[in-house]
Amino acid sequence: MLFCLTTQELMERPDLWEAVHRLRYQIFVEEMGWEDLRRPDGFEVDQFDHDEAVHQIVIRGNEVAGYQRMLPTTRPHLLTEVLADLSEGTPPSGPNIWELTRYAVAPGFRDGRRGVSTVGTELIAGFVEWGLKRGVDKVIIEFEPMWVLRALQLHFLATPLGYQRTYGNQQVVATLLSFNEHTLDVVRSRRNHHAPVLARGYPDMFGQRRAS
Amino acid sequence: MSQFDRTLEYIDQLQHAGTAAAVCEKLLGITSDFGLTALMAGTVPQPGTPAGQQKQHVLLCDWPVEWLERYVARNYVDHDPVVSHMKQLQAPFQWREAAQGISFDKSSGEVMGDAGAFKLRDGLAFPLITLDGQIVMVSLGGEAVQLSAAEFGLVSLVSTYAVGRAMQIHTMAAKTIDHIELTPRERECLQWAAVGKSEWEISQILGISEHTSEKHLLNAKSKLGAVNRVQAVAEAIRRGYIS
Repeated sequence: MLFCLTTQELMERPDLWEAVHRLRYQIFVEEMGWEDLRRPDGFEVDQFDHDEAVHQIVIRGNEVAGYQRMLPTTRPHLLTEVLADLSEGTPPSGPNIWELTRYAVAPGFRDGRRGVSTVGTELIAGFVEWGLKRGVDKVIIEFEPMWVLRALQLHFLATPLGYQRTYGNQQVVATLLSFNEHTLDVVRSRRNHHAPVLARGYPDMFGQRRAS
Repeated sequence: MSQFDRTLEYIDQLQHAGTAAAVCEKLLGITSDFGLTALMAGTVPQPGTPAGQQKQHVLLCDWPVEWLERYVARNYVDHDPVVSHMKQLQAPFQWREAAQGISFDKSSGEVMGDAGAFKLRDGLAFPLITLDGQIVMVSLGGEAVQLSAAEFGLVSLVSTYAVGRAMQIHTMAAKTIDHIELTPRERECLQWAAVGKSEWEISQILGISEHTSEKHLLNAKSKLGAVNRVQAVAEAIRRGYIS
């Protein structure tokens, strides 16, 4: 199940807030080495965790298994502020275009050695479902070039926004992905799972069992 | 027109190519300006894959035919320094870097020397990874390769989209062959078989003879490539023909 929470809603659930920001720290600082984000408290938080950000969280059992953050392009976002050199010219923006950032699958939920795990594809199905429901049909993503191939395999329409660059030991390319109902169908059949993944409300409190 | 606008135009044309051959031709049309005149892209065969099966791994190919024949026949894939470099999942690199970076065994030197004899003196190569974790190797080569850093970026980006388009075409082709046409009756019989009804019970429910219901199930079984009724039902559910 994938839960969509605003920053405010996330802050109202301290157990969840901590799990999310700890996972982000573990992956982006410790694993990928984004040193600018290193902090003594072990939580990764930046200036884009603002009141319009949408936090998408995949829960498995009683754990945060996957996460991504959606940012509106109608206000400053990563591509305009932090990763501007990935874009040739002015990046596209508008209410139908959001930026997908901090895509993360927790280490225990990466099934294969190299492929995309079921948590990974749930995140993808999740943002497409979420977007189609609220009139969003494009996302900007800064990802490794191999994701271009995967996006095309899933029948996204992909357009590069600039050339790939090397950050540390990582190659990154900014890409605009457009999607529609057909994309959602393809994503769902690749997952062999046709039911919607978006859940309403909050996940259960961590450390508690469901009452029923 | 800026170089990036040109890149976008190339990518747009590639995304409209209808066959793998058209993708190949389009891509080489772009890269030949930089001396890259030969192209090979495919998934990496496991070491020791028989020569006969190696060609099934190819997605895009415009490579000197005799070179390809020799490459497969002599099993060069297991000794090619470019391939071993790529298997470490490196970012785009030039062949000469791969040749410098590793200590040659005798066979590796032979592969590179032999490539030169076919007017493939240098090139660039990079790996991509599919959704299910398969490595796709992309290699472009030629006799006189001239690439600035910016052009290197252009070529690797455009090639990535070319491979993506080739994979889309590949899956579409597989799907047409894979598509199975079940008749409404066959589907109905399977649906009842799925809830545990016998052939006799199905015949009673549908008002047909037991022989006919048996025939429908047999047909469905063979269309689905199943060895028995249980597998036919499982396969029909997996493919979404029944629920």
